[in-house]
Amino acid sequence: MLTFLLRRSLAAIAMLLVVGTIIFSLLMIVPGDPAELLLTTGGGSTTQEAVDALRKQMGLDKPILVQYVGFLSDTVRFDFGRSIIDGAEIAEAIGLRLPRTLELIIAAAIIALSIGIPAGTTAALRVGGMFDRLTSALMALLTSVPVFVVGTLLIYLFAQVLRVMPAGGYVALQDDPVAHFRALILPALSVSLGLLAIVFRMTRASVLEMRSHDWVRTATAKGLRRKLVIRRHILRNALGPVITVVGLQLGILLGSTVLVEFVYNWPGLSGLLVTAVEQRDYPTVRAVILTVAAIFILINLVIDILYSVLDPRIRL
Amino acid sequence: MNIRIPIPHRMIFPTVLLSALIIIPFAAPLITGADPTEMAIPQRFAGPSAEHWLGQDEFGRDRLARILHGGQVSLTVAFAATSLAAFVGTIFGLIGAYFRGPFEFFTTRLADVVVCFPPILLALLVVTLFGPGAGTLIAVLSVLYFPAFARIAFAEALRVSALDFVEASRAIGTTSTRIVLRTVLPNIAGPLSVQYSLTAAAAITIESGLSFLGLGVVPPAPSWGQMIRGARAFMNQDPLGIFLPCLALTLTIYIINIFCDRLRDTLDPKGADNGKDTVSAPLKGKETTIPTLPDSTVAKISGLHLKLNKKGNDVDLIDDITLTLRANECTALVGESGSGKSLTSLALMGLLPDQIKQTTGQLLLRRKRGDVVDLGRLTATELEDLRGNDVAMIFQEPMTSLNPVHKVGVQMVEAIEAHRTTTKDAARARAIELLKLVGINEAERRFDGYPHQLSGGMRQRVMIAMALCCEPKLLIADEPTTALDVTIQAEVIELLQRLRHEYADGLGLLFISHNLGIVSEIADRVAVMYSGQVVEEGPVSAILHTPRHPYTRALLESMPASHDALHSTRGDRLQAISGTPPLPHLRPSGCAFRDRCPIAVPECAAARPALLAIAEDHDVRCFLAGKGAV
Repeated sequence: MLTFLLRRSLAAIAMLLVVGTIIFSLLMIVPGDPAELLLTTGGGSTTQEAVDALRKQMGLDKPILVQYVGFLSDTVRFDFGRSIIDGAEIAEAIGLRLPRTLELIIAAAIIALSIGIPAGTTAALRVGGMFDRLTSALMALLTSVPVFVVGTLLIYLFAQVLRVMPAGGYVALQDDPVAHFRALILPALSVSLGLLAIVFRMTRASVLEMRSHDWVRTATAKGLRRKLVIRRHILRNALGPVITVVGLQLGILLGSTVLVEFVYNWPGLSGLLVTAVEQRDYPTVRAVILTVAAIFILINLVIDILYSVLDPRIRL
Repeated sequence: MNIRIPIPHRMIFPTVLLSALIIIPFAAPLITGADPTEMAIPQRFAGPSAEHWLGQDEFGRDRLARILHGGQVSLTVAFAATSLAAFVGTIFGLIGAYFRGPFEFFTTRLADVVVCFPPILLALLVVTLFGPGAGTLIAVLSVLYFPAFARIAFAEALRVSALDFVEASRAIGTTSTRIVLRTVLPNIAGPLSVQYSLTAAAAITIESGLSFLGLGVVPPAPSWGQMIRGARAFMNQDPLGIFLPCLALTLTIYIINIFCDRLRDTLDPKGADNGKDTVSAPLKGKETTIPTLPDSTVAKISGLHLKLNKKGNDVDLIDDITLTLRANECTALVGESGSGKSLTSLALMGLLPDQIKQTTGQLLLRRKRGDVVDLGRLTATELEDLRGNDVAMIFQEPMTSLNPVHKVGVQMVEAIEAHRTTTKDAARARAIELLKLVGINEAERRFDGYPHQLSGGMRQRVMIAMALCCEPKLLIADEPTTALDVTIQAEVIELLQRLRHEYADGLGLLFISHNLGIVSEIADRVAVMYSGQVVEEGPVSAILHTPRHPYTRALLESMPASHDALHSTRGDRLQAISGTPPLPHLRPSGCAFRDRCPIAVPECAAARPALLAIAEDHDVRCFLAGKGAV
């Protein structure tokens, strides 16, 4: 078990290094001078002094290897430098906004899993039945609706027509817990729907596959109650593939939060990102994306470990 | 040259929809002459009119024109990016598959790295550097998606190049380029086209998302995402402004997804057609008499018929089986695969697959507490109560019969707790005692181990221990040694014999096998099955030494007399039975064996022979058996 943990952690670190290197080198492979590019994209004009100042601030005047090592050592210390727009400490802004984004993701994952797994199981156990056909069609539709469309339509329905939910915004938990969760519901629901469809499809497929295995027949032959056979010998085995897919889909989930935070004016990481992209604040963009990629890799590491708990054969 | 590509029936509808979807936006000038960028502020939010079919937006622009032109932009970006990604990715994949080595590593790992970036974030990173616009979008999206194509092309090319006909064309000296273009590419086109439509849908989603954020398509060029962004502020006074682009966008993605799903099902039909799961109903009708069995009888099958209902057609699988299983007796059920041996045993467990129904006959079982029940008339809960308790089963495949994620001990305790109220400790003690009984060393340690830590022979011992957990009076062993090595086979048979004689008093054993050597060691009685019927039944010595049915004789002749005979260098070969057993729906009239029977007479085709006693305790289903002709 210890070697397994060690190996997986090392792989995750290697992955982080690769991702960091790619993000770093992206600026290097851009044709022309990156500083000038950042200042002039969108048709703007700039002065040589401004370009030189930006080059110096971003450290672009140093040799590439020095820049690379500096970039890595800064990143390891969570020192992302300062914004080139307002000079604010980037790590601080990320530290403030990251928990809000994580809250959104966790709430969405809880909604998606708590509906998707039971629904997928029920559909698979009565495959071809009424429930299966209805939910499968609904989920196919859900995968087709872009997340910002869902968000916008939910606002229209619940905030404009029914007037039962706030249209957006954020209230700190310590200020007003009830308002905090009311503001959380619609954004979390919007993020969760796409994931829900994936969890449903995966659970359904996995349960369908598991229920025809020999050990299910053995369990039935032992005289176990049907409910126990489903829970211990079908669902328990089916969960492994489901959480693996969920882990891989988290990239899409993290992407969805960018749009949902924008739709609901939720002050998470994405607000920072979208503003930074608009202002060509490359260091901030780079830091946010690196953070998100790190979270993604970390979550997948956790899922790998979880999987090995669910399926003892993996630990070999 | 006139090439016709056959379109499968179920693909017609999605293909028509998809074509309409692609053609309509580009036919915009034929539909409306309005300019999508021409503003008319006084007419902002005007409702539908003869001139503006869908009304006007917040700047008084024609909505229909904007939707159609927005569609042009979205579709162009999506399909251009996807085509580029597919082209580059396929080439990468084919190069990787052809040269292998570092190319292989590169192609397969690339997708791993790209999957780490949420696609929209990578797009944002690039937009920061190059600024928004359709060109940037196409470049970003194709970079994002080509590794997926590379991986699929790589995997599929490897699979295809290992196929026989590719090997064959390589052997006759066809050039590599020709093989790739003529043979490999057409064969991997299926999976690639599925990926193509998936990617197109994802590309539209990302394009519209970025445009919605104001970082995609640059105004004044219309795009659906941008229209939603613009209309958001006026949601209250102008809901139509939101609904129309939302509908257009969702419908587009939905149609592509449907097309993709259908395509996948058509290319790989195995996942699409899942049989409907129905709960099998108990036999109808009141029981006229309370069933009884003689004291020495554990179970009795009489006049059993099982039918498979497949697409409305009934197929007889088991055709009138009668069999008596007695206490302290081992009955062997022998016959070729497909003769119905396993099905008969599953019926005794109440474990028939849902599509198979019992039509007539009785499956009487004496329960441990003494009463006799008819399995066909029990409810699902009553069957649960009975399985593993009064009748238990050992399956053919020990490697897959234990659940890999639960500890061995837990799976045994589960069987005990299903039928007895005991404490955790007592159940554990009982399980360990049984593990020791079946000859498992270090039973305590194995109890906490997982199935994958055991060998096949060990697992089969665990299965036997598990079957004995609740001291059943009937044990069914369905080819318990077929999947094992020959030396292990002997050990397991020995174990079964020992348990029968020393441990489980009064146990009736139904032993299913096609190995007559093993049968001669363990069985007291033998029932020979052929094509869903018992054709001969009697004491083991009678069946093995004086067989009366031509099929039994053929079966015995096909068996090597001893290990030496198997390896003899002499010219005499084992006698194989000519022909194959008939499929259930193709059984000949009359005697089912007559097509392969060396002594068949015209009479055999006329009527089905009955199972008749030809000697004390020896029944044969053959017209000629009683006449001394056999």
